[in-house]
Amino acid sequence: MIIDMHMHIEEVASLGWQMSADDCITAMDAARVDAAAVMTLTDLPGLNPRGLELIAEACESHPGRLYGFVRLNPAHLEKAVGLLDRAITELGFRGLKLHPVSTLQHPGGSATIALIRRAGELGVPTLFHCGDEPMTTPLSIAPAAAACPDATIILGHMGGYFHVDEALDVAEQHPNIVLETSAMPYPDKIGEAVARIGAERVIFGSDGPVSSPALERQKVEIAALGEPAAALVMGGNAARLLGLAA
Amino acid sequence: MRTVDGLLFLGSSHFGPALTADAALAGMDAVGTQTAVAAPVHPHRGGFSGANDLVVRAAEESAGRLLPLCRVDPWEGADAVAELRRAVEQGARGLFLHPSEEHFRANDVRVRPLVEAAAGLAVPVVVAAGYHLFAEPLQLGALAGWIPDTPVVLTNGGQFNISGLAQFDAELALGNANVHVQTSGMYREDFLERVVATFGPERLLFASAAPVFTMAYERRRVDAAHFSEAERELILSGNARRVFGLAVAA
Repeated sequence: MIIDMHMHIEEVASLGWQMSADDCITAMDAARVDAAAVMTLTDLPGLNPRGLELIAEACESHPGRLYGFVRLNPAHLEKAVGLLDRAITELGFRGLKLHPVSTLQHPGGSATIALIRRAGELGVPTLFHCGDEPMTTPLSIAPAAAACPDATIILGHMGGYFHVDEALDVAEQHPNIVLETSAMPYPDKIGEAVARIGAERVIFGSDGPVSSPALERQKVEIAALGEPAAALVMGGNAARLLGLAA
Repeated sequence: MRTVDGLLFLGSSHFGPALTADAALAGMDAVGTQTAVAAPVHPHRGGFSGANDLVVRAAEESAGRLLPLCRVDPWEGADAVAELRRAVEQGARGLFLHPSEEHFRANDVRVRPLVEAAAGLAVPVVVAAGYHLFAEPLQLGALAGWIPDTPVVLTNGGQFNISGLAQFDAELALGNANVHVQTSGMYREDFLERVVATFGPERLLFASAAPVFTMAYERRRVDAAHFSEAERELILSGNARRVFGLAVAA
């Protein structure tokens, strides 16, 4: 089973962001991807007040193919905790997404840590945007991993263009960190990640549909991981994190 | 179609990556690339003259498969302009600038005499783009504005940002009619497609930027994007032939 752990659905006309569940499914089919974790591009509370319903409806329309992550702004902590609880316990979402560039909330801040801990208590992972911008680098996120050892933290983009080596370093230091492969351009680093932290902690993602799941899948294939590592990276680990594993 | 890789680097870089001409040609063979534009790496313990000579020699020995660019450091002032003139006499087909590795701001006044010299020599200017502080899209747009009749080719889609936040500035830079961007490292398929739709297929060039990026993977970015066959021909071949003055071969 091939699972893409990072895709987006959004409807914010003022930003020109229009990507539907069908856009994701089309891209997944083209890439022969079986299932995907989907999330908005905006945070709640925020620009798209229907963000939770948008993802819930998408998952309901495509059972077994789309699994929701709720994207939240820790600055509205009380509301965010309530939304997280509802998303996971009532709507069947499978994870939390945090993007410090849009929320301006440092990963090591108390509100963010409270939200990550709550996600951990609910048994779902937290996916961070992890790239080159301030507050999103691996070293910025590492304190959150240290403060929440019982929560799984996924570094989306595994450090972006310039911080991939740091992502590998912090993943070695914090066993609750998982690296996600989308967008970063170095196939060799996926192999290095598997060698350094183990195939169980590396997962395939595409950041689609605006980037190509088919192309992102080829990046992992070029890494030539071999089995059983490739199967874990391409879906086995995601199935475990999404609660799909038998 | 004879595919042209719009940029790769030859030599052993001070910053780590290394690629020999033989390895470059073997890699090109493996991915179906016939021709590549080749720039020197930032040399380890050596000046740019020697690095330029190495690439010119590799090109001479490649039966036309490698096309050399001249790389200089604008901090060297008039000596850099002289090196550009010397290298072009030796066969260099364009000027390559790497603001981040040579630590200069792309739109610093020191850069202007160099790019104007390139314009005077009728060779294009290729700039390593997307590096914060040194080669931001609008800085590169300002550089392009100095030489409006000369092609300016920006690597990496003209920008790097894993959130897509620099795409807007890259599109503003593309408002300069002489600005072209390359596909290297550009993960956002929708950005590549928007460049073609908004500015025309003549403005996008395939490039691997190997060995910084992986030749086999970078080649696939163009295949994955939704281009017409005519657009794909321009991106993979025609645009580079026009910009770098390659003979149109069957």
